Amino acid sequence: MSEFKKFDQKNWVKTNLNYKKDPGSWAWILHRITGIALIAYLFMHIFSLSPLSQGRAAFNEFMSHYTTPFFMALEWILFAFVLFHSLNGVRIVLVDWADGARYHKALYRYSIVIGLVMFFAMGYVMFSHEIHNLFK
Amino acid sequence: MYKHQNSQGSGSFSWVFQRVTGLILVVVMIGHYILMHYTPESGHTYDAVLSRMQSNWYRVLDLTFLVLGMYHGLNGVWGIFRDYKLKPWQTITVMSLLIVLGLAFTLWGVKTILDIPYVQTTTGELLVK
Repeated sequence: MSEFKKFDQKNWVKTNLNYKKDPGSWAWILHRITGIALIAYLFMHIFSLSPLSQGRAAFNEFMSHYTTPFFMALEWILFAFVLFHSLNGVRIVLVDWADGARYHKALYRYSIVIGLVMFFAMGYVMFSHEIHNLFK
Repeated sequence: MYKHQNSQGSGSFSWVFQRVTGLILVVVMIGHYILMHYTPESGHTYDAVLSRMQSNWYRVLDLTFLVLGMYHGLNGVWGIFRDYKLKPWQTITVMSLLIVLGLAFTLWGVKTILDIPYVQTTTGELLVK
């Protein structure tokens, strides 16, 4: 019987960084990072919408902070996270349930193309006013 | 031979449900993005939220999104922790934190949604206070 390497809980970051990675390994790592970011965002989202209970003035005052260009840029990045997690999530389901192991690398390439197109399309929608002002 | 050992269950239910909720969330997320489509005037004011929330369909959609999103997210975080072979006291701490935080924030979100008043008249106008 082959020897099992004892799991080293203290150095798990190093262990994760050191092994040889295929594109699928990066997908796995990014799926985790984007997932953690999205659940953190959900907590912040619940917090940031809670002034709805305090009436119009409080809510509008609160929301005025989130419509600045800085926050819109953050929202664009958030959309990139959502896109990656959604597209890779669909890829995971196809691998698990639809024989996707045979074509998961092609799926990965298609996902990247679809994701980039949707990311820039969303950028255009979000910043359409700014873009139109530039070319007036 | 491959039967799970040293745990309460195989985790197969949460594995399946993670995929099912994930697929539902993708669909709801597309709706959420189309409705909220990220321009400054696409309904982020109090009045816009109020008029949307006069429809119970909107409330049900938002509640579904909230509860499923929270479940999917925290189950995912738990899945990450499970990969790193926690000691029993770490398992209990992490599990308790996830459950308490998850329940507290879900209830907070549910309260926020349900607190929005119904102010529509029979003619469809808003009686806004």
